[in-house]
Amino acid sequence: MSATLLPETTSTSATMRRNFWLGVWRVMRRKPSRMVGVVILVGFVLTAVFGPLLYPEHLPSNADAISRPPSWEHWFGTDPQGRDVLALVITGSRYVLLSAGVTAFITVVLGTAIGLFSGFKRGRWDTVLMRITDMKLTIPSLPLLLVLATVWKFGNPIQMGLVLGLFGWGGVARAVRAQTLSLRERGFIEAARGLGLSTRHIIGKELLPSMAPYIAMNMLIAVTGAVYAQVGLFFLGVLPYESDNWGVMLNLAVFQAGAMITPYALGYLLAPLLAILLLTLGIVLVVDAMDEIFNPRLREE
Amino acid sequence: MTIIARRLAGHLARGLVMILVVATISFFIVNNIPGDPMAARYEKLIEQGMSPEAAAQGVKVLYGFLPTGTLWEQYTDYMSGLVRLDLGVSVSRPGTPVLDVLGEAAKWTVLPVLAGTLLSFLVGIMLGVYAAIKRTGKLGDALAISGSLLHGIPQYVLAMLLVVIFATLIPILPADGPVDILFEPGFNAGYIGSLIEHAVLPVATYALSAYGGWILAMKSSVVTVLGDDFILAAELRGMKRSIIFRYIARNAILPLFTILALSLGLLLGGAVFIEKIFNYPGLGLLLISSINDRDYALMGGAFLLITVAVIVANIVADLFYAVIDPRVRSGEEAG
Repeated sequence: MSATLLPETTSTSATMRRNFWLGVWRVMRRKPSRMVGVVILVGFVLTAVFGPLLYPEHLPSNADAISRPPSWEHWFGTDPQGRDVLALVITGSRYVLLSAGVTAFITVVLGTAIGLFSGFKRGRWDTVLMRITDMKLTIPSLPLLLVLATVWKFGNPIQMGLVLGLFGWGGVARAVRAQTLSLRERGFIEAARGLGLSTRHIIGKELLPSMAPYIAMNMLIAVTGAVYAQVGLFFLGVLPYESDNWGVMLNLAVFQAGAMITPYALGYLLAPLLAILLLTLGIVLVVDAMDEIFNPRLREE
Repeated sequence: MTIIARRLAGHLARGLVMILVVATISFFIVNNIPGDPMAARYEKLIEQGMSPEAAAQGVKVLYGFLPTGTLWEQYTDYMSGLVRLDLGVSVSRPGTPVLDVLGEAAKWTVLPVLAGTLLSFLVGIMLGVYAAIKRTGKLGDALAISGSLLHGIPQYVLAMLLVVIFATLIPILPADGPVDILFEPGFNAGYIGSLIEHAVLPVATYALSAYGGWILAMKSSVVTVLGDDFILAAELRGMKRSIIFRYIARNAILPLFTILALSLGLLLGGAVFIEKIFNYPGLGLLLISSINDRDYALMGGAFLLITVAVIVANIVADLFYAVIDPRVRSGEEAG
């Protein structure tokens, strides 16, 4: 793709980019809630990257502080092994976010490639690919993942992200295809085709940049689903407990500490729940802003 | 009518292909399970004091097929069993055909999901119209945000929060099982009352988690319709607000019926969480317990039935859409 980098296109795309970021900034400034979303997401990424460094690899269990209620020392109490719940949430965030990142990457690459190809080429390939996509979208993915868990243990976050990515591209592919179909009829694409520019150039330089925020938005939605699915799989207890993550915490809190029966272990249950809620909130707020950046008609001046 | 018949035929053909694909997936998964469940079963029967011959026979009865012959022979054997609705025998409930276990569980999944879907559909649509008309106001904004949030929160988080609030902190609703065991099953006030009481939280979870989607979909649908010429014409002709409102609502609802399919499918597929949390003996709980019990015939059956239910929900909703949308009825084929 870098072969087609001509001086004049770089200057126009640079202005385009500047205008785009100005638009982003304007949309962000109008509603402070959107900034909050970005701050939350950045906070989670920093926690996942640096958080586990603050703690030893295996959190020490403390026989003197088993299942304590919240206190100044332990904000969310301790688990039945006497480990600090907040520390568990922080160290557990790495698994969740790392696999979410892998999922995001695969979802975007596969979904965009299939959607673009399908929408741009039309014809027989389009029909075949969209039939497959529809099939993927119809088969309920959670039961399929559960059944798959009997043969595949999703041992580390990268494997988990890989599987979820392979499951999750359907929605992005559909969205990208719809967007491609509408863009390819517009003047600037037709002009490019009339000029005899290569398909690769049209897709890489004309289509993709104008679709980037849309793709990013759909990716975030797909990733949200993937985060829930992986936490949920661990929560349901069909995967081994070895890894540290929020789903394992939820499972242990509910089915071993009995957090839903007694208020005693409530902190142990609420801490991962709050983490998921906060992550959701961040993603919802960012998607909301992206929606407006992408779709100017939604802007109410 | 012919259009609808043709759509139905197309859907059925596609649905059959999907069921074939899903059945094939579950066959290969059961076939590739590490640790050889049949050998494990055999060992267990021996441990229970059976003779090797009797144990081998027992394994064969339970699994329907022994891993003999080529993969293709096993596959056709499994598939021909499916066609005869013979899904094998459950291991964890000795002697019970898988089909019977599934039938018993299905009602605990389908009824609450339907109740939750209808409830959220009605409430979500009404609030969605309001959110669209008042979209610049504070309340409209709040409704839209509540929609996004509830749409975004995973179902199981919602379910656990409801349990924590209404069953643990303020214990006013039961959250364990579908009914109190002290009541005699049948048509008596105590039993039915207990059934309803136990259904409140699961149904509320289904409804709340779907409601956000309805509000958002209805809002954007109404906003689109608001810009249409016929609304402008009606306003210019000085029509009454209530009539215009009915115009808007009727035209905006149509596209939502396709989402009804997706939503039903999502809820059926997600029933696993709700049933696990509320200990509700539906298909989802059955799927998990069959995985934990290594009851693979039951696992394959539950997975297949959930998928079939989702496919059927999709077909029904799409046909429903075809019946009520005059544009489809008059024969305009879209895409």
